Amino acid sequence: MTTAPMLKIEDLRTYFYSRSKQAFVRSVDGVSLEIAKGETLGVVGESGSGKSITALSVLGLISTGPGVIGGKIGFKSDQTQKNLLQDLGDFVKLTTKNGKIMEVSKDVLGWERNAERIMSKVRGKEIAMTFQNPKSSLNPFTSVGKQITEAIRLHTSIKTEQEAKERALTWLGRVKIDSPRLRFDNYPYGLSGGMCQRVMIAMALASEPSLLIADEPTTGLDATIQSKIVDLLVELKSELGITTMLISHDISIISRLSDSVAVMYGGTVFESGPAKHILSTGFKSKHPYTSALLASIPSAQNIREKGYLQAIEGDVLDTINIPEGCRFYSRCNRVTGKTREKCARQEPDLHEIISGHKVRCWLYFD
Amino acid sequence: MKHYSQISGEISEFSDLPFWKKADGVDLVYVGYGVLIVALVVVSYIFGSFNLLPRDPQDIDLQLMMAPPGTPGRLLGTDFMGRDMLSRLIVGIQAYFLPGLLAIFIALFFGTSLGVLAGYQGEKFNTGITYFTNLIDSFPRLVLILLVIAAFKPDIYYIMLVVGLTNVPVVASLIKGKIQFLKQKNFIEADIALGVPTRTIILKHILWHNCRSLLIIQATLGMAEAILMETSLSYLGFGVQEPTPSWGNMVQSGANYFMQGKFWPSTAPALAILFTILGFHLLGDGLNNILEGKRST
Amino acid sequence: MKLSAIRPIALVLSRELMITVLLLLGVSFVVFVILFASPGDPFSVLLEGQLSTAEVRAGVREAMGVPQPWYFQYLAWLAGMLTGNFGTSIRMGLPVLPEMLRVGLNTLILTIGSLIITLLIAVPIALYSAVRGTNKISWPLTMSSYVISALPVFWLAYIVIYFFTHKLGLFPIAFGFSSAGQKYRWLYQLLPIFVLGVGNGTISEVIRYLRQEMGRVMAEDYIRSARAKGASVWKHAFKEGLLIPVTEIIASKIPFILGGAVIVEQVFNWPGMGRMAWQAAQDRDYPVIMGIAILAAVFVRMGSLFQSVVYIAVNPRASKK
Repeated sequence: MTTAPMLKIEDLRTYFYSRSKQAFVRSVDGVSLEIAKGETLGVVGESGSGKSITALSVLGLISTGPGVIGGKIGFKSDQTQKNLLQDLGDFVKLTTKNGKIMEVSKDVLGWERNAERIMSKVRGKEIAMTFQNPKSSLNPFTSVGKQITEAIRLHTSIKTEQEAKERALTWLGRVKIDSPRLRFDNYPYGLSGGMCQRVMIAMALASEPSLLIADEPTTGLDATIQSKIVDLLVELKSELGITTMLISHDISIISRLSDSVAVMYGGTVFESGPAKHILSTGFKSKHPYTSALLASIPSAQNIREKGYLQAIEGDVLDTINIPEGCRFYSRCNRVTGKTREKCARQEPDLHEIISGHKVRCWLYFD
Repeated sequence: MKHYSQISGEISEFSDLPFWKKADGVDLVYVGYGVLIVALVVVSYIFGSFNLLPRDPQDIDLQLMMAPPGTPGRLLGTDFMGRDMLSRLIVGIQAYFLPGLLAIFIALFFGTSLGVLAGYQGEKFNTGITYFTNLIDSFPRLVLILLVIAAFKPDIYYIMLVVGLTNVPVVASLIKGKIQFLKQKNFIEADIALGVPTRTIILKHILWHNCRSLLIIQATLGMAEAILMETSLSYLGFGVQEPTPSWGNMVQSGANYFMQGKFWPSTAPALAILFTILGFHLLGDGLNNILEGKRST
Repeated sequence: MKLSAIRPIALVLSRELMITVLLLLGVSFVVFVILFASPGDPFSVLLEGQLSTAEVRAGVREAMGVPQPWYFQYLAWLAGMLTGNFGTSIRMGLPVLPEMLRVGLNTLILTIGSLIITLLIAVPIALYSAVRGTNKISWPLTMSSYVISALPVFWLAYIVIYFFTHKLGLFPIAFGFSSAGQKYRWLYQLLPIFVLGVGNGTISEVIRYLRQEMGRVMAEDYIRSARAKGASVWKHAFKEGLLIPVTEIIASKIPFILGGAVIVEQVFNWPGMGRMAWQAAQDRDYPVIMGIAILAAVFVRMGSLFQSVVYIAVNPRASKK
């Protein structure tokens, strides 16, 4: 990265608290990511890996538990440059024992006030987000068109309802919705899941943000619609070149759209780097989790090679009971005699092995 | 400032905790207070029925009119005729306790029967139930009771009959809801498939295991309402007549003295009403929260 | 609202109207059953009271030598009511309907006024609790609402009256509309509204319900989207989180408030239907009490209808069957 990245997340920590178990749910436990301007970063991982929570933390949308408790989110656009978690340390006090955070004291109200001040200038205007569950993520009491014009009038120079409507219609056309003039007055209940997703994308892009975060844009949709949405995203990507953080557990959509990839597991990033390195089967130095993930995809190649579907053994990490050592240790099939001791006891850092490619695994450095 | 802490080591399972650790402290206070009130009411009722009173409630003592609480021999003071307040309050419970139980019994018995019937029946029956519920809810209770009083007589048992009947739809719909919930989870089907006799399914499995908390809560609300109704009616002059004390008529007869600045004769029974109804409400609420496992931070 | 949306809305509304009519018919039947079953045979008194002159009445009694079947009596009475004849008051000798409407209006003012008071108190507390949760401000308020809801409203009335007359030195000759203190007449009229608004016993439930609904809506996905796009959360949450729940809780609490009105009107001598009902119950004035019971039910159903109208107007899905 020669120029400063547009979004730089450093050591983000977002915790929740389970009253019934009297323990922290460490959903995001030290995540570092970077996105350069114009680039699309694909964040891939299983459910529960913390990818959605990371995205919500960027926009300050976490409302329960202690929430965001540490880290830095550097955001740099043409208009502004700031740390979205500025002064977080003033409102949070952590107590660690044996390297693990065991107590959190947070001035929730104070931080909220502080965060709102920062976030209100950024939400929609600079960073826009689309969500999974498009139908429930749109206001059921307002027409779809009005929701788009709201975004336009809030964040662009267009202020009158008339002009905003024209612009909204253009966007509806751009996301390939049929008869935009008719659909403008429709309510979300009358639209299909795929159409609602398109509307959400239009709504996000209409406010002309510098960064788009797309959280599982295809999950929950029919398979045929899924590929249509991906086609749309590919087209929009080449048309607009907008910096994007794409979150999905579906590797196929990640591979079609991403310039760089980050693989998340159990609340941390296991591997990050250029897409062509990480996603290709040829590339050798990869995190065991990544290679296992790729091997488990029901693709023609995998089945031809092995003849069966290879699942990853063991259960997904319980983010309450995080073990010592590497989070993937219990499921890893590439542990060697040399590294076993370390893998079991000590969690590796995210280490850059080749320029731009980082891995969190004892196999690749010591 | 919010504090969260995790004691390293064991992470316990919620279901292992005893209920007083699981419940929110506030709810325990509510239930505690409520149980206290219920106990007081029951004990006072029993004492009252056997005339085990500190003093004769009709005993007029003109020397000691409107004595404040704490006067020796008169724990809660006296009213405007020198009669002992505590004794009168205890006797006042007679006016609503048994009738209240009648109202509760009617509401729960018929409500449960209707609810079970509705739970097992189809849509047409349920539409009928909804219609009746809306019909009964269209009348303000007090107005309906005044109508009944005009048509029949101001007998507290008649009135409580009406109160009980008007609560039947509420109980019925709650029971019906529970049954539909259980149906959805296939519990009932499973029972039938196992050959459990219908009577056992209904009595033991549905009502006892699943509905008892709901019924207890309805009972507390029912008593609170009964107290409100009885005291309002006797305040308006329709219930127990002077000199027999009822909390309602005690407030009413003390009204003139209140306006002269002598608050106690009206205030003592009013406070009794307040704390008792509050007790039943909090009991119902607290139990509801504990048994339903609700309450967030 | 678009023109194309009006027709389905009208359809749903007419369905609601029909249900209301059916319910009111049911109400009249319930009242009939109560009066018919009564030992004093008030129903005949009622029927006779519907007839205008003594001669006609005598003639009917003759003609009705054989008691008519109950459904005939019911229909005759119903027909009388629908033509505006609610019989004649036994005590006053005046036709019931005009009197009923006159006092009904006064009670309506009292009811709506007190609803406003209740909401003025409950809504801020509920919204605050929904947003901030349980804290050292919201908890005492919620606790107080429990206590206030258990207060006997007649005692609260005494306190308010005492405060007003003694502390503020305003001596009412009589309350209500015949007070000599013309300057303070408007204040006197506010007192019962205030007392009923605070003391009707529903405040804690209203707060609880509104807080629960707003809390539920705040956690919805679409509110998160609104926040993410920098839009006003209150604007988006208003319809489902405040407007609809408020109309729902108002409609369901009107019966309670009318009940409280009976007491408040008696204490303050407010010339409303509650006081008239109380008087009628004491006098066994069947036509009056029956008319008021029906009027009260009409008020309740109007509240319910109002709530349906708002719901249909706001909810786009409601217009579809």
